[in-house]
Amino acid sequence: MNKYFSVARLTWDETFVYRLNFVMWRVRAVLQILTLYFLWLALIPTGASLFGYDQSSMLTYILGTSLISSIVLSSRSYAVGDEINSGNLSNFLLRPINYFLYWFARDVGDKAMNIIFSIIELTVLFVILKPPLFIQTESFYLLLTFVAIVFALIMYFFFNFLLGLIGFWSPEVWAPRFIFIILLNFFAGGLFPLDILPKFIFSVFQSLPFTYLLYFPIKIYLGQLTIIEIFTGIMISLVWTLVLYIIVQYVWRKGLLVYTAQGR
Amino acid sequence: MVISVSHLSKYYQVHKKEPGLVGSIKSLVARQYEKVKAVDDISFSITEGELVGFIGPNGAGKTTTLKCLSGLLYPSGGEISVLRFTPWERKYEFLTQIAFVMGQRNQLWWDLPALETFLLNKEIYEIPTKRFNEALSELSTFLKVDSLLKTPVRKLSLGERMKMELIANLIHSPKVLFLDEPTLGLDVVMQQNLRDFIREYNKRHHATIILTSHYMKDVESLCKRVVIINLGKIIFDGLLDTLVKQHAPYKLIRVILKRNVEENILRTLGRDIKFQYPELIFNVPNEKISETVAKLLQQLPIEDITIQDPAIEDIIREVFNSEQ
Repeated sequence: MNKYFSVARLTWDETFVYRLNFVMWRVRAVLQILTLYFLWLALIPTGASLFGYDQSSMLTYILGTSLISSIVLSSRSYAVGDEINSGNLSNFLLRPINYFLYWFARDVGDKAMNIIFSIIELTVLFVILKPPLFIQTESFYLLLTFVAIVFALIMYFFFNFLLGLIGFWSPEVWAPRFIFIILLNFFAGGLFPLDILPKFIFSVFQSLPFTYLLYFPIKIYLGQLTIIEIFTGIMISLVWTLVLYIIVQYVWRKGLLVYTAQGR
Repeated sequence: MVISVSHLSKYYQVHKKEPGLVGSIKSLVARQYEKVKAVDDISFSITEGELVGFIGPNGAGKTTTLKCLSGLLYPSGGEISVLRFTPWERKYEFLTQIAFVMGQRNQLWWDLPALETFLLNKEIYEIPTKRFNEALSELSTFLKVDSLLKTPVRKLSLGERMKMELIANLIHSPKVLFLDEPTLGLDVVMQQNLRDFIREYNKRHHATIILTSHYMKDVESLCKRVVIINLGKIIFDGLLDTLVKQHAPYKLIRVILKRNVEENILRTLGRDIKFQYPELIFNVPNEKISETVAKLLQQLPIEDITIQDPAIEDIIREVFNSEQ
């Protein structure tokens, strides 16, 4: 396990090499949160409500998904496709290291950085703006939110990895990814709360894995789901995680058969 | 037997595209594939501690063979065993005992000092600290980069980076080494250093080494045994000396003349002659050497005379030509 810890640590170190880049990245994150915050603050005045969401729960939903997406939807494994095409993958196949865990460790290093800075920034913003946000105090919901986020980031990791594995068969790994990213944000509830959609469509969404990436964790946090809904959701996440794992492993094995270690 | 290969084949599917717009559209709708036989039914075996040179023109199948041996590629047919493992299964015990050095691979973390990559490899290969420190100081002293270990990789020169890559590749003291064009891009001094290093490594660790190179000097100075590959097939496997004897049963007699001589006179002395005053080169069969030298000394105004083996490059070229 030590090796994967080292990978995570090196990823962390690497981020600090380009300090300006890192600072600008954080500024971008803060600006994004601020614009969303003021937009929705203006859309729903105090006391009013929209689609059954009052001001504080809608603000919490929007800001919460943006925070969760910065944790869940940040994965460096998009580089897998390029590594396959450039032949760089060979470096890993030649060493006794698990390629999945390697990328997962890189993600962990990356996410740890993002989480720590997000918490600092949010605390500062909270003190300055004193926003009317919904604060969950029950540790039961907080714990389940955490569990849901862990499933979400593993599922997203597999999705991203799978898109990278296209590289075994085609050098064109970017086009499918762009389509995926656009669809994902909608299906995962990054644009608006999904339960304002018609019931039928929403229930279809619920059987897909995307809902569990953003919408589900934030709804648990808001305390708007029943215990049964939460456990059903977690079971569905678990099943999807396993299914994705099996697919990724299968595609990876098939890919290695046709891998040509080209380029170098 | 450390490495044994029997009837190994590797075919690639290559997609063909006709030129022009029509060709592009055609290839979008219905791709044409062509099977390329990169390696076609080759067999050989190598014992522990051997240092073998693979020779062949570009695209002969040398690198593909090494990729199969190191487990990067699944063979299309045949059996391979390296250290009693099947390479493509990529078992932990197998991977910790091999290294594949390619001339232009980069596993170093670009923005971080090379030492960080070495330390990561220490964890990956689970090398005990004591052994790691010994290996690192041995390698970095020999390659003269011990002062650069803490410099970010992107600030290093190409040669320095190559040396760091080499250290990263060898830090786990592999028993079997595949070197694909290891001297590519290095200056003459460094090439010599690297050759010394490979020879030394082979002796000290009793490592089995396969080397491919375009520089015949690499092969000549390092390998007793050579395997010549062309178009995916082995056309010679044996000692370098044997190759020379078989394909070059002649020597070169090089003469420097004191003054110019008419070409007619030269013709009577031998058939295969290159002449550009004052240098004169005879191509003489081994059994006629002494006879010819005696004749030359008698009949020509000689300043200097030497007898040489033909260049390895020429012999190899002859081998390829006789194949076609």
